[in-house]
Amino acid sequence: MENQKISKKFLKLFSKRGMGQVITVSVGLVVLIVVFGILNPNFFSNRNISNLLRQIAPIILIGVGQSYVLITGNIDLSIGSVVGMSCMVSATLMSKGMNPWLAVLVSYLAALMVGFLNGKLVSSAKLPAFIATLGTMTIARGIAQIVNNNYNTDSIGPAAEGFRNFFYYGKSFGLYNTIWIAFAIWLIFNFILSRTRTGRHIYAVGSNIHAANLSGVNISSTITKTYLVSAVCSATVGLIITATSGMGTMDAGTSYELYAVASSVIGGVSTLGGQGILLGTIVGASIWGVLQNGLQFAGAPVAIRNIVIGIIVIISVLLDIVVRANKNMAKVKANSKA
Amino acid sequence: MKKLITLVLALTLIFTVAGCAAPTTTDPGTSNPGTTDPGTNGGSSESKHKIYLITMDQMDQHWVTVDQGAKKAADELGNVDYQWLAPDVKDDAKQIESINNAIAGGAEAILLAANGPDAVTATLKEAEAEGIKIIYVDSPADFPAVQTLATDNEAAGKTAGEEMISALNDKGITSGKIGIVNVNASTDSTVKREAGFRSAFEGTGFEILETQYADGDAARSKDVAANYITEGVVGIFGGNEGSTVGIGNAIKEAGGDVIGVGFDKSDTIMQLIDEGHLLATMSQNPDVMGYEGMKTAVDVLEGKTIDTDYVDTGVSVLKK
Repeated sequence: MENQKISKKFLKLFSKRGMGQVITVSVGLVVLIVVFGILNPNFFSNRNISNLLRQIAPIILIGVGQSYVLITGNIDLSIGSVVGMSCMVSATLMSKGMNPWLAVLVSYLAALMVGFLNGKLVSSAKLPAFIATLGTMTIARGIAQIVNNNYNTDSIGPAAEGFRNFFYYGKSFGLYNTIWIAFAIWLIFNFILSRTRTGRHIYAVGSNIHAANLSGVNISSTITKTYLVSAVCSATVGLIITATSGMGTMDAGTSYELYAVASSVIGGVSTLGGQGILLGTIVGASIWGVLQNGLQFAGAPVAIRNIVIGIIVIISVLLDIVVRANKNMAKVKANSKA
Repeated sequence: MKKLITLVLALTLIFTVAGCAAPTTTDPGTSNPGTTDPGTNGGSSESKHKIYLITMDQMDQHWVTVDQGAKKAADELGNVDYQWLAPDVKDDAKQIESINNAIAGGAEAILLAANGPDAVTATLKEAEAEGIKIIYVDSPADFPAVQTLATDNEAAGKTAGEEMISALNDKGITSGKIGIVNVNASTDSTVKREAGFRSAFEGTGFEILETQYADGDAARSKDVAANYITEGVVGIFGGNEGSTVGIGNAIKEAGGDVIGVGFDKSDTIMQLIDEGHLLATMSQNPDVMGYEGMKTAVDVLEGKTIDTDYVDTGVSVLKK
């Protein structure tokens, strides 16, 4: 009787969309943490735990943005360039004396324009997402270069200390503000994705776009919203980078779109669309961040780090496929008995 | 719907045009190779010499400064048709493309900062076969050239190491861990800086940890440096501007007991030094490389003998 209750609870938990993969990779994450802690106890120091959480935060943000887009069955390759563009726009304006918070607003507006453009190119102009965002990736990177006439910026100066503390160096309730920002944004977008009509429409578009269309879902509007979410997340990361460095660099954010895909996919978001939850994206980003950080403490050369990270990405997704296949086999057996 | 698509495409076009209007262009010249006149060698100074600068990338302010020096000399000389080509990222294959474009563009001389010493040698053979003169600025390749103008990066790196050791000894520290944040393992100039830095520590009680690479990105370098600080290092070295900014920010946050030394001069680095978070930076003289390199190029094209095959443009130690 009691066993039956427990098993029912587990079944309910596992049956939630995408939760199986989350649990699988969470176990992997715990194993990684234990291994790195054994290899180098400094990994568990208070300072490193604080740093590690802050290093993971930007990956969560770009992961959330990419997850939104992937769940509709599309992709956003412009994430890294929008990060770079936001970094350069904000830093250029601040280094020339603009009020930091006004510069932040301008950076968000610039990013939203790219997000809107992505949304319309994919949903209205019917360009393949890969091609459309490859184009805007190049455009946004070009803007990052041109905004300060092909120079990295000067220092954003003492007037921006408040900005730097807000986005990166300051702490609230003992945790770095970067962590709180990522958590707040994750909360908002997780709520939207899992508890609102817009979220249901996003899953519907990714699962079966034709059925969604026939059901009255506004395809264009839904897809555009996901690219706007991605733009907001990318802009936030760009501002975090500006705050970190105290200057703007034209190549900031390079390859971040790939980290975003890796975090999402490790966490159970399917590149085919319609599947995955943002809780998985946190785990995926955490695995990515723990590997980056832990392998340095293990003294591993960068080449080894890249190899290990690549292998773990593949294993994570492979596990998901295997688990899902087993479920399907179980269903087939059950049906054949009936 | 149609109007919206038209608007979107128009916006895209506007962005593209704005991009084309950029003041700095890296496109190869439109002239064809056939216009190269061998008679200009040692001939009339009235026709313009086509001279290209090719750097590792176009992002780093260092290369922008080399470009400025070269431009200044070209303007002063008056008989130079000057162009700067560069990949958007450090990449051997892309730099080879730039060199091929310069050859196709009718270059008479090329000022080259080689990304790696070996990758470009085959292409430089082609250039030499076309009669093009090679002058190295900043980073030579393993191929003979008219002249090399560069910082002796190994010596400069050693100087950085000596500055760090001196500062540590002044604080009574004679042993401990040292971290190195470098760009990558294949860019010759930064590899030499690291080698020089390491050589300064031979025979001392300090232990240098595994080098970390952050592609010269200031934010990533900061994360890497913060991890080193958690490891308890007493000093950290940065191989270029971005690495050094990252180190300075990490030390600033940690409270400043760690000694930071790095390379290149920028507004941000000077601010970190003034605030006391970085001990010193090694400042090169890229404008001199560009300026003197351009003059050498014109001299050799006009038949003059070049006596000096290596010019050390030196390094300045900048401190508070």
